[in-house]
Amino acid sequence: MTGIGAGRLAIELIEATKRYGETIALDGVSLGIEPGEFFCLLGPSGCGKTTTLNLIGGFIPLTAGELRIEGRRVNDLPPHRRNVNTVFQNYALFPHMTVAQNVAFGLRMARLDGRETERRVAEYLDLVGLSALRARSPAQLSGGQQQRVALARALARRPAVLLLDEPLGALDLKLRKQMQVELSRIQRQVGTTFVFVTHDQEEALSMATRIAVMSDGRVVQSGTPREIYYRPVDRFVADFIGESNFLEGHLAADGGARRVRFRDGGAVIVPSELPVGLARAGAVTLMVRPECVSVGTTAPEGQWATLTGRVINVAFLGNHTRVTVQTAAGAVVTLRPHSEGSRSAALDGLLDQEVCVWWSPQESTVVASDTGGGADGSLA
Amino acid sequence: MPPNSAGGAIVVPPATGLAVRAKVGLVRAWPFLPAGLMLALLFLVPMAVMVVFSLWRTTPDFDIVPDWTLDNYAYFFNTPTYVRTLLKTLIMAAAVTAAGIAAAFPFAYFLVRYVSPRWQRAVLLAVIVPFWTSYLLRAYAWQAILGPKGALNQLLTGIGVTDEPSRLFIYDNPGVWLVLVYVYFPFAALAIYASLEKFDFTQLNAAQDLGARPDQALLHILLPQVRPGLITACIFVFIPILGEFLTPALVGGTEGLLIANLIVNFFRGLQYTTMAAFCFIIAALVTVLLVIFRRYLQVEDVVART
Ligand SMILES: Nc1ncnc2c1ncn2[C@@H]1O[C@H](COP(=O)(O)OP(=O)(O)OP(=O)(O)O)[C@@H](O)[C@H]1O
Ligand SMILES: [Mg+2]
Repeated sequence: MTGIGAGRLAIELIEATKRYGETIALDGVSLGIEPGEFFCLLGPSGCGKTTTLNLIGGFIPLTAGELRIEGRRVNDLPPHRRNVNTVFQNYALFPHMTVAQNVAFGLRMARLDGRETERRVAEYLDLVGLSALRARSPAQLSGGQQQRVALARALARRPAVLLLDEPLGALDLKLRKQMQVELSRIQRQVGTTFVFVTHDQEEALSMATRIAVMSDGRVVQSGTPREIYYRPVDRFVADFIGESNFLEGHLAADGGARRVRFRDGGAVIVPSELPVGLARAGAVTLMVRPECVSVGTTAPEGQWATLTGRVINVAFLGNHTRVTVQTAAGAVVTLRPHSEGSRSAALDGLLDQEVCVWWSPQESTVVASDTGGGADGSLA
Repeated sequence: MPPNSAGGAIVVPPATGLAVRAKVGLVRAWPFLPAGLMLALLFLVPMAVMVVFSLWRTTPDFDIVPDWTLDNYAYFFNTPTYVRTLLKTLIMAAAVTAAGIAAAFPFAYFLVRYVSPRWQRAVLLAVIVPFWTSYLLRAYAWQAILGPKGALNQLLTGIGVTDEPSRLFIYDNPGVWLVLVYVYFPFAALAIYASLEKFDFTQLNAAQDLGARPDQALLHILLPQVRPGLITACIFVFIPILGEFLTPALVGGTEGLLIANLIVNFFRGLQYTTMAAFCFIIAALVTVLLVIFRRYLQVEDVVART
């Protein structure tokens, strides 16, 4: 676990398992979420994100393992007695109540007195910018506005943790971007721990303080967006988040520096730190992000991982140019940003040329080829 | 908005507008014509005849004479048996409605929430299958079940619960109640099912998430939203029972008679004027009840959900 600080965790899952008959929805997940984090659960459909959230919210029981909220074991606590609140994917607003009554509902259930309820309703409607619509019924709101009501309603109870299940899934792209910024602002403003489910990697990278990447009911890796992006523990994570070059080869010790040697010739230097268990020689996959790869007619001096090859494609993508180079290790994709001075026209001329591609060894990652990985963010 | 500048729209001068609108109104009304005619001929005209009859008098020779009088109405209110029977009918209707809803609500709730849509349809079909058999046959069947030599008594004597056939189940109010609950359960179940079917059950999770106990979630979230269905169920059960005569006649004996049985008796006794008055007393009651029910069934309830 990438611990930020000691003290009580907001949420702690210990070997949490959930089975539906034969299906294992969640398979021994251990996870710690610090207070104040904006924590993203990211993964493909069916990997167990909603299940994790429903377990924390108390809507389904654990099959095995333990769940703690603010240090207290809550396995058997019903939802209405847990100090967490949820923003549901379909919002689940109460259609027979006004916006203000929706926000007040949780406070009424907590038996807050009338004046305090009124004050908080005003405070949280103001936070989400809906004060003017307080008397409307949910049916008279747009999707984005309903989303905000759901958010205000859940936050008004001032829970320890706010759970959000793909809250932006139903919004169109533009509104989605806008709400991403808005959600980040609200989270910073109230300081509540957010646990946010999404299958959109860009959303997770841009908003989260930490991400847990899930697959098949397991957490494959958890860490900061940068760790996940630049130090993926396996091919699945690298593939799921962003684009990556995957180069298959063999790990070999070449005197001092270790290298990955490719079947059709050529070898590159690898990072000085390798994942545990990769110290010895064997089949490995080397991963490097396209934007970390440079391309040119001659490679520069110094400690670079370098390959030579022929440019087979140059694609102009507006703010980037994408150059694909066929090397002994396979096709290597590089993504070169446009800025004043570096004009794409120069890259256009590279088509069919013999070129070099190079990258800093520290920006590449090596994992064993056949194993699926599964380590918890720890890179030795 | 000033006239003639309405964004390219054609502005019709007011006078022509009215005439056109009246013509359009007439043309638009034709779909209502058959129903309107039927209502007028088969409902309003007979009603008018009944009103007149209820204010006339029947001679001992069963002739109806146009002596305008309120005696028929006074007769009802001055005869304790009639007033008592009407009150009992109201209590019976309330008891059947309560039992019907008490049975239909959990039934519909579990059906909607926990049964797959395909099975839901099968179960609903099973609920309405009895309608394929005539009401008369079903009432006779109950007579056979509840009677002194009926299936129920044979079972009870057979397993030794009672020594001799009990008359508890038939020819009295409990028997009538039981059969009426059976007859009206499908109406209540279908009305409640229809309103529950539209309900989004994640709202109950949301309510509990916001600190409501399960019973509070039902009370504050589910109940207000299925109220139209509950009220429809009340109307479908309560009001027809005020006109029930077949079941009381077959399984009610002398103790279990309801107000409609009295009305039928007047009809058979050719006392048309008294009968008409009694009918209007019940009709007035039904009207009052419908107005009360309507107050609870506001149009917003239905609109807010769409
Ligand atoms: N009530 C249930 N009964 C049986 N299996 C279930 C049930 N709920 C979820 N599952 C299974 O558990 C697994 C995880 O489901 P979950 O809903 O957590 O996925 P998810 O990550 O939220 O996916 P999505 O992105 O599509 O929402 C899936 O294989 C799913 O089929
Ligand atoms: Mg989900």
